[in-house]
This record gives sequence, structure tokens and C-alpha cells, in this order.
Amino acid sequence: MIKLEDVTKIYPDGTKAVDDVTLEIEKGEFCVLLGPSGCGKTTSLKMINRLISLSQGKIYVDGRDVYQMDVNQLRRSMGYAIQEIGLFPHMTVEQNVTTVPRLLGWSKARCRERTAELLDLVGLSPPETFMRRFPNELSGGQKQRVGVARCLGADPPILLMDEPFGAIDPITRERLQDEFLRIQDEIRKTIAFVTHDIHEAVKMGDTIALMRDGILVQHAPPAEMLAHPKDSFVEDFVGSDRALKALQLMRVRDVMDETPPKVRIDESLETARGRMQELGVNFLAVVNEDERFEGWVNRRVLRRSGEQVKDVMMRYTVTGRRDTPVNEALSLMLGSAIGNLGVVDRRDKLIGVVTFRSLSEAIQASYSEDEDPDEAHAERETAA
Amino acid sequence: MLFETWRYIGNNWAYIGRLTVEHLQIIAVANGSAVFFGVLIGIFVSGRGRERLAQLVMYLASIMITIPSLALYGFLMGILSALGLRSIGFLPVVIALTLYGLLPIIRNTYTAITEVDPAMIEAGRGMGMSELQILWKVKLPLAVPVIMAGLRQAVVMNIGIAAIGAYIGAGGLGQLIFRGIANWRPHLIVTGAIFVSLLSIAADLLLGRVEWLATPKGIRTRGRA
Repeated sequence: MIKLEDVTKIYPDGTKAVDDVTLEIEKGEFCVLLGPSGCGKTTSLKMINRLISLSQGKIYVDGRDVYQMDVNQLRRSMGYAIQEIGLFPHMTVEQNVTTVPRLLGWSKARCRERTAELLDLVGLSPPETFMRRFPNELSGGQKQRVGVARCLGADPPILLMDEPFGAIDPITRERLQDEFLRIQDEIRKTIAFVTHDIHEAVKMGDTIALMRDGILVQHAPPAEMLAHPKDSFVEDFVGSDRALKALQLMRVRDVMDETPPKVRIDESLETARGRMQELGVNFLAVVNEDERFEGWVNRRVLRRSGEQVKDVMMRYTVTGRRDTPVNEALSLMLGSAIGNLGVVDRRDKLIGVVTFRSLSEAIQASYSEDEDPDEAHAERETAA
Repeated sequence: MLFETWRYIGNNWAYIGRLTVEHLQIIAVANGSAVFFGVLIGIFVSGRGRERLAQLVMYLASIMITIPSLALYGFLMGILSALGLRSIGFLPVVIALTLYGLLPIIRNTYTAITEVDPAMIEAGRGMGMSELQILWKVKLPLAVPVIMAGLRQAVVMNIGIAAIGAYIGAGGLGQLIFRGIANWRPHLIVTGAIFVSLLSIAADLLLGRVEWLATPKGIRTRGRA
């Protein structure tokens, strides 16, 4: 879909901003251009829509050389969003969002319809109340949303985004990232997304293209980059906590024990102790007659006096779902008294348990799986 | 003398009215052309790579303002007669006032356009606006209030200077003042001064309102002026 071939940018003063970069972004791929400031990631992005001219090499979009296309038509066929957002203050939200559609000569009715659709998509609803507002009547987060809506204006197949969530507070940013991922799930655009934030890159990208001093160091899916940094620079950049970052790529369903040791709430303490002995575990999950998760018992509470499990159990209501990211699960586990996490379905039925042991086993398994040298090598080949 | 002035105004309404209209005509034509040329020049020198030209143009325009109006009139009379055009009256005064009016308009146009947030221009360009569309749809609407402020300044300034135009036969309220000086009739001088001042104040208020109306809604910073 987007292909950079031996692309080099040399400024008149001799600075090599981008040095012989070859990068292919597949159709529907969310590619994050990542790197420290001055690494050439923004320059690379802006060469795609010719905001910056390239010195050597070729850039193809859908197989067509971008320099063979009319520059304004090229740009109108791609969404473009920047960190400063750059909303036009003298235009309403509707006019801003339909900037490209109006350049393309869409009818008024179609523009209005598209605005409503987009504002709804980016969570500015009801659209009617936002359409006629001016940018100075919006909060920072709302402006950012309008910026995203604007870059989707004419429904371009490609989006170029230059730190589009850079200028907002961390909480809003987190929320916008989540929403944008949800949107991307729906619209499946080909995206080139610049950021210097490794967390954002890992969270958002299907692939990460890590750059340094104008050179593309590694282009790989986040999990692979975290597991197999190509060199010490990548390793440093992804951070010594890369194992922790990898956790956010895994889901609870990947690490949970699906046949957790459990006991019913109305069984006797004797039964519970026996089961623990039998299974060689230190805890049991407690469920009620409908298999609903109720809490935990361990050896310590079973020493207390009582008849049934429910007399001594630790009631604990914090649970995870199958698709909870593992980093969140870990944080819940660290905060809980028992150190385990019950996994429930929508009706609160217990479907599994995450323990520290199951977690570390799963992580080790994922590493050794990737360790297959041929496979990893082959993946890097296709990435490069 | 106040009483005489009052009586004179009361007895000569029609005459003063005609002079006021003459005065306004001069101002309208001169500042109209100052806006036309000033905005064009301002846009031109705000183009990429023309910073030095812009400095030069604004330097020349500020020198222009320092030339005493009588000297400029005299100078223009020389040029116009050499060209075979009417060298007294309306034409030289309008040309002089146009030249005086250029500075605030060029300066404000230039400043407003060069200070448009670069992020906005990048966003526009990145979405496929041509340079002309960026100028027309982004830069100019944002510059309008600042250009209007320049026009307002130019008009207020020129209303005063136009009075001197009567000296070379352009008519207007200056005529009262010059007749008052020539014949030593102080109430004529006072009448002329009063009306020139009133005209300035009225123009200032009116153009302030126009400036507000011309400001795109989304960037109005204060309530109704």
C-alpha cells in the first residue's frame, strides 16, 4: 500500500535527515514510526504526502509513484493529522471536518451527513450540538477528536498521523488511544503514525518501525521487537522493562488456568482442606451453586473455625475478563490479598484463574516460541 | 467667540455639510485605494523568501509617513504637471493620502498573514489545499480583523491630513480653516477643527464596529463592540 524504497532526504546544509530507508506498510496495517526526536520519523512521514520533498529514492502509494501524481490530489487522498491539530479557528467544527470533502466538491447535504457520521464515530455526540461550534469553544480533548474526524473526512484509505495525541493530558490521551483503536477496528485504514512514545507505539501499532539518525533500525510487530530487539539501541529504546511492556500485548485468556482448583461455597472446610491437599495447591477459588465467583480460601483461613466455606472465605470481588490486558491483570493481582485473579465471563461465572506461576510460565513459553531462529529471521526479512 | 462659532454653524448647515461630503469623498477614494494596494502589497511581500523585500517596503512606507503633507503635495503637483495631469485639487491630495494610508495597511496585512499559526497552514497544505486556497480560505479570513484595524488607523490619520488638502484646492473641511486663517475669522477655524475632529471620532467608532463585524465568528475575542 505504502512503499518507501531507498528513500533519502538530504537538506541543503548537508544534514541527512533520512538515510536510505526502505519500508513497506501493508494495506490495513497500523505502522508506528518510532524513535527519539530528530531521528527522521516525521520527515519520513511528510515525504509520503510530499510536504517534504525527497532527495533520493521512490515512494509508492498503491503502486503509483507519488511524484507522478498531482500533489493536491495525492494529499486529498490521504488523511493528515498533526500534533498541533491545526484546526481552522474561523471555521465551525463542520467546516473543519469537511475541509477535504469541500475541496473535492461534495454537496452540502453529503457534507452534513458525513460530519454527523464522523462526529458520532469520534465520540462527539450528539453531532448537532458540536457541528456549529467553533474550535475555541472546545476542550483540548474535543479538539483532538475533531482533528481525527477531519483526517477521516473524505474517507481516505490512508492516514498519516504525526503525534496526533501528543498535546493532551495522559488520561485523555489514553482514552483517545483506546477509542482510536476501536475506530481502526471498524475502518481498517492503512496508517502511518509518528510517535516518540514507546508505550503508545506498543499499544497502537501492528508494526513498529524504529528509527535512529535517519536510519530504519528495525521494523517488526511490537511483540517481536520487545522479545527480540535487533541491537543494543533498540533494546535501550524499548527499555529495560520491555518484558513488562510485552504484558500489555497479551490477554488474560493467553495466560489463565482454565481448570482452576475450586470449591463450592456450601461445602465443608474439611472438603476444602482435602481438595487442597489432593491438588497440591495453596488456595481454592470459591464459587456458588451457579458457578458464580465469590472469593478465595487458602490454608490460613481454613484454620479458622466454621462449618462451611462461606463462613471463613475471603470475599473478593475484583475480577478480570478474558480480554483484559495482562499488565492490568498483574496490577490487580499485586493489589489483591490473595495474589491471584479470578477470571469471569459476562454472567460472573468463573472461567479461569491467573496466578503468578501461570503468568510467568506463559511469558516464558511465548519467548521460547519466538526463539525459533528461522522463524524470527524470516519475519524480520519480510519486515525489512 | 464660542457664541459666534455656534451661530455660524447654525447659519451654514448646508455649506458645512457639503464640505463634509467633499472631505469624505477624498477619504473614501484615498483609503479605498490604500486598502486595495496595501493588501495586495502586503500579501505579495508576505510570500516565502521575501522577508528582505518586506522590510524594505515597510521601511519606505514609514519614511513616506514622515514627509510633511504640504511638501508631499508640492512634490506630487510637480510630478502630475510634468505628466500633463491636473496638478491641483482632488488628484494630488488623494494620491498623497493613499501613500500615507499604505503603511498601516501593508504592515497589518503583512503581520497578520505571517503570524497565522504555521500548524494551520501545514494542516491545510497536508490536506491538499493549494497555496491560493490556503491564502483565500485560511490566511485572509484570519487577517481581516487586523487589516481592518490598519484601515481604521489610516482613515483616522488621513481625516486630519486631508484638511490640509484644501490649501491646494481639494475642498473639504480644511477650507473653513484656511479661510479662517486668511481672513482672521477664528470661529471659522474652530468650526473646521470641530468638524474634522467629529469626523475622526465618528469614523473611528464606525470602523471599530465594522472591524468587529468583519471578524470571523470563531475568533472574536470579545463581545459586541
